Amino acid sequence: MKLVCSRDALAEALSVAGSVVVNRTPAPVLLCLKLEAKDGFLTVSATDTEIGLILGVAEVDIREEGEALIPADKLNQIVRATNDEAITIEVDKNVANIRGKDAKFKVFGFDPGEFPGTPAFEEGPVEFQTNAGTFRRVIGRTVFATAVENSRYAINGVLLERTDRHLRLVATDGRRLAVARGECGSFEGEDTSSIVPTKALNVLSRLMSDPDEPVSVRRDRNQILFKVGEGPGAPVLSSNLVEGSFPPFEDVIPKDQDKRVEFDAGDLSSAVRRAALLTNEESKGVRLAFADGTLTLSSRAPEMGEAEIKVDVDYAGEPIEIGFNPTYLTEALKHADAQTVLIELKAPNKPGVIKVESDFTYVVMPVNLA
Amino acid sequence: MGADAREPERESVVDPAFERTILHVDMDAFFASVEQRDRAELRGRPVLVGGQGGRGVVAAASYEARDFGCRSAMPMAEARRRCPEAVIISPSFDRYEDESRRIMRIIESASPMVEPLSIDEAFVDVTGSRRLLGEGVDIARALRARIKEDTGLTASIGVGPCKFVAKIASDLEKPDGLTVIGPVGLADRLAPLPVGRMWGIGPRTVERCTAAAIETFGDLQRRSPLELRELLGSSAQRFHDLAHGRDDRPVITDRRAKSIGHEQTFHENIEDPSEVEAVLLRHVERSTARLRRGGRKARVVVVKVRDGSFSTNTRSTTLDAPTDRTDVVWTAARSLFRDWPFRPVRLIGVSLSGLDAEATGSLFDDSDVGDAARRRRLDAATDAIRGRFGGDSIGRTSASLSTPRNRERSEGADRPD
Repeated sequence: MKLVCSRDALAEALSVAGSVVVNRTPAPVLLCLKLEAKDGFLTVSATDTEIGLILGVAEVDIREEGEALIPADKLNQIVRATNDEAITIEVDKNVANIRGKDAKFKVFGFDPGEFPGTPAFEEGPVEFQTNAGTFRRVIGRTVFATAVENSRYAINGVLLERTDRHLRLVATDGRRLAVARGECGSFEGEDTSSIVPTKALNVLSRLMSDPDEPVSVRRDRNQILFKVGEGPGAPVLSSNLVEGSFPPFEDVIPKDQDKRVEFDAGDLSSAVRRAALLTNEESKGVRLAFADGTLTLSSRAPEMGEAEIKVDVDYAGEPIEIGFNPTYLTEALKHADAQTVLIELKAPNKPGVIKVESDFTYVVMPVNLA
Repeated sequence: MGADAREPERESVVDPAFERTILHVDMDAFFASVEQRDRAELRGRPVLVGGQGGRGVVAAASYEARDFGCRSAMPMAEARRRCPEAVIISPSFDRYEDESRRIMRIIESASPMVEPLSIDEAFVDVTGSRRLLGEGVDIARALRARIKEDTGLTASIGVGPCKFVAKIASDLEKPDGLTVIGPVGLADRLAPLPVGRMWGIGPRTVERCTAAAIETFGDLQRRSPLELRELLGSSAQRFHDLAHGRDDRPVITDRRAKSIGHEQTFHENIEDPSEVEAVLLRHVERSTARLRRGGRKARVVVVKVRDGSFSTNTRSTTLDAPTDRTDVVWTAARSLFRDWPFRPVRLIGVSLSGLDAEATGSLFDDSDVGDAARRRRLDAATDAIRGRFGGDSIGRTSASLSTPRNRERSEGADRPD
């Protein structure tokens, strides 16, 4: 295999593919990226056995077809550190020679036949198609709220539901819940619902840089495949679905919130961040006191100090004081991806809700400030 | 520093304003005293509280019984032999823990900085209370009077500039004693004490020390930590410091502890797994009650078992979510214990860590599992009724006591390692 390619295009592809590769594994081939030069295209593949990715690299001049399996981190580091516009890669007997203007690297690889491979996105009708902008937004509005580990529920992923053309994504870590809605352009077949691993959606988001590109989704029993864009070289991401059941989230979305306040998301986020400066391990909560026309945010850290921030609000309802973990608020305000948000409350011991129209609903449990 | 330097001057240069004042409150023959208080016919007579079965062990001996050489942790059969006229009583934990709750509440009136050590023992940092309530000795005197007045029981209190010295002091004039060891001349005051009083120096080490002509704290003071290392290993520096009365560990309340737990050493090997489990359950109940009192939740459950050959094994598990529920911790602790290939047990303990200050409630716990809510109410009710250390919860088999209480240890501190 021998090829010359643009440094920038290669660096971008390797970086995304590298995010699939795990840091530690007993199988060295899983630490590698597979390069394949064929029919005038260069593709890069990566897998962690749960998630697989194959994507094409633009601006490549293939001199000799072939395959190679090269350790991902070294390849990434070399390409990233290079300033040359073009890079030459030549592979002979599992050894990769990477050359720039003034540099020559020899990297020992593995037999490409040992690579487990990644599933292909078959031709034909897909389950649904949507544009990358929409899909990226609904993923961004939910994926931050997933849990790191599963508890008795499968919550280290995002629930991806489709009912006709309506998409609903749901994520929770047991203390807060994010629900995002969007539409798909076309769909086929019965309604579907499954849990997609957090990591797969994070990789997918990186692939959807052009909001107008179509994203095609295909599901079978325990796998989901995404194709971003069209034609040869379009990235295909495959992932095993998370097994297990998602918690009964509909039950915990409050329906009788009677106190509503509208905020500029940036203003509220800034106020919460400043109030959070005087919290510590012992007092993680920030107190929000709503009273006639003013929201007062306050915090107190024993043996450290106190903070108080006032925000003018359009609120004339019954005064209410409620505590929240500030991180749970700022994360939601950041990922809400909206100028204006609506805060809905009921009582100090009931969950609070952050809403962006009907597209985004975020439920968060309060902190007991007593 | 010369090997012979005793450096008593080191203590006296500390500005008194920065000197801590720590109390160690230790109830006298606690279980036996409660029984004698409640049953007039037992007063003035030797009383042994503990299991009466063949393998029973003395949990508490009244001072009358101690005159006959009876000690807690002694096999009951041996205690009976030494004092045939002793009255033997089965323990009733509920009452003792009830009493303990009242006592701890009295102690908290002197300072919020209370670190419970076991059912009848606590450290109190009264440094911040001195301006309001007087010197350590005045506070100790007032506490002893109130405990006596409100509960009819006597406590021995030691006052010192650190935990270690306070603990040593409380033991010096037991029972019904009050001993103050101030920061001035501290090392001289400690010098005559036998090394066996040192925390962590057991009979075997005492033998080795005696062989090396180290019999008192003074002997430890005069040897350099380097010299002591051969005898005492990696803890040599620590023992050297303690012998001088230097101990900077803070008093740690359950609200701040990095871990909370209880463990218990048996006087002899326990060969019946169910008996060990009963004790483990009691440790779990006390530890989780302390979590709830401190408003904490734990994520990691560690069970420590030492077998008859003194090899110690710790096993731990991480829970799905932080909890303060007795049943959740018990399920985890029991399965850890059952995974251990059983051998006769010398020590059993549980320690809860990964303590979470996370105060955000859970979205799903109560809504999806009615059972969880019910169990939480049960825990709350039990806490309310039985008091701060938790009791034997309703429906759970209470731990039968064939165990010495005086070798129970609790933890509530962020131990160095």
